[in-house]
Amino acid sequence: MAIFNLKKREIECKVVYYGPGRCGKTTNLEYIFGAYKKQVKGEMVSINTEGDRTLFFDFLPIGLGQIRGCDVRVQLYTVPGQVKYSSTRKLVLRGVDGIVFVADSLEVRREKNMLSLKDLQSNLKEYGKSIFKVPLVMQFNKRDLAEQGIPLMSVEQMQKDLNRQLQVPAFEGSAVKGDGVGVTLKECLKLTLQSLQREFKWAQ
Amino acid sequence: MDIKQRLKAVLQEAEIYRSQGLISEAQSKYKDAVNIVNSIEKLKNKESLIKAISDKIDALKTTKEKVEKGPTTPELSQKAQDLIKNLFAFSESTDQDSAALEGAVALAKFGQFDRALTELNGLLKKEKVRVEAAKNILQCHLASAGADEAINQYQQWYTGDLFHANQLEAVRTFLEEVLAKKGVEANLPSLLETIDPQLEEAVVEVQPQVEVEEEFLDITSIGITFDAGPRKGKMVEFDVNFQSGNMLSLIISKQENELIETLEERMELKDVQFFSPIAIFNGAGVVASKTKIKTGPKQGDYCVDIRIVST
Repeated sequence: MAIFNLKKREIECKVVYYGPGRCGKTTNLEYIFGAYKKQVKGEMVSINTEGDRTLFFDFLPIGLGQIRGCDVRVQLYTVPGQVKYSSTRKLVLRGVDGIVFVADSLEVRREKNMLSLKDLQSNLKEYGKSIFKVPLVMQFNKRDLAEQGIPLMSVEQMQKDLNRQLQVPAFEGSAVKGDGVGVTLKECLKLTLQSLQREFKWAQ
Repeated sequence: MDIKQRLKAVLQEAEIYRSQGLISEAQSKYKDAVNIVNSIEKLKNKESLIKAISDKIDALKTTKEKVEKGPTTPELSQKAQDLIKNLFAFSESTDQDSAALEGAVALAKFGQFDRALTELNGLLKKEKVRVEAAKNILQCHLASAGADEAINQYQQWYTGDLFHANQLEAVRTFLEEVLAKKGVEANLPSLLETIDPQLEEAVVEVQPQVEVEEEFLDITSIGITFDAGPRKGKMVEFDVNFQSGNMLSLIISKQENELIETLEERMELKDVQFFSPIAIFNGAGVVASKTKIKTGPKQGDYCVDIRIVST
């Protein structure tokens, strides 16, 4: 849940990158850390395990500066994608204000995407939130691998699989190259702040 | 596609999956490659090619085992543990002991049991959070060492003089329930069975409260549908900032004048949804107290305590 300090006109919200294992959640944060130095407000912390897999979470604090009279700070997190870290995912998701769902465009990961989205829906439900109401943006990652002849799902297929009912903004991306990373985050932040404005009327 | 080209494409695909950390997918593609190689009759160096691919499959198998057997909860650096305490202690309580308890619980949830135990043991000295600290100590022992360690810990407390009878009874009931869920039957000694008869009456008086406390799951947030006030008929969700048994504490911003005025002490809340990490349930509550926060970052906001009366 976002923290407001109305006296100091400060707002701090939480955005979580969710998705199946090895889909590129950490790579998104690494790109943001490297490319948006002006906005980054601290070190990126990654707690990894064997093979650079996220064990607990990645964390990156950023600042958006003054927006409508309020100093806006955002905490970016990733969850561990591996199925066995279910309880950690739930912990990291607690108090979330906005979500980026990173889907893997590889054909071989089709089912994992769908299972992860279902897992997100289930975890949100346990916190009393609806996946249809939470600010959510999708990124179809790894589009660059098509150049190497790797079988990818078409964007239409991914929309049909993952976004047919949700109808949330979705962007093609290549986190490793930085393509689509900024626009995805920007859209998620926009939706998140709009949602918080509707709920708390923080903006002047 | 020419079969050699197909082999090349499959090997490239396998290699990319391997570099992406997609172990099963890479293994599967390498196996496809072996099948293709086997199907080519007049291929030079056929055996050495199969061996090279098989080596890759074996290497992936080793990696997969490492990933699967890797420690699920390694001990983190102090810096990382501090970060967990800061980021995952969700209480905005201005109460130092409650905040410290939240921090220690956050460490435990991330499997940092050694430091969590150190901090929780320190909190046993604090009357207000003693029972909750004790319960979490037992949870740590159960998660890290097993039931025997938790039972031993309880026995130590039973023979010591740190806990009041009703406090220890709350801890005993909690441990017995947790053990029962794990299929462990334990008849833990109760101070209430050995207590001085003169004190019995006083202890019996607090006993129902202990029992009620044990019935409740951790509640993360609640949704109140008001039957009076400007939000009549609407459900408003609140995060639970602190919970002690059936008592939930909410912090309501001073900006929410309407809500603060509506939530009067002793007000009955007939339609409340309680959200816990494992279930959502409906029930009723009563506003037990409403206090204006006088200091700290939440100065001017209100702390509203809601007692769950039925679920």
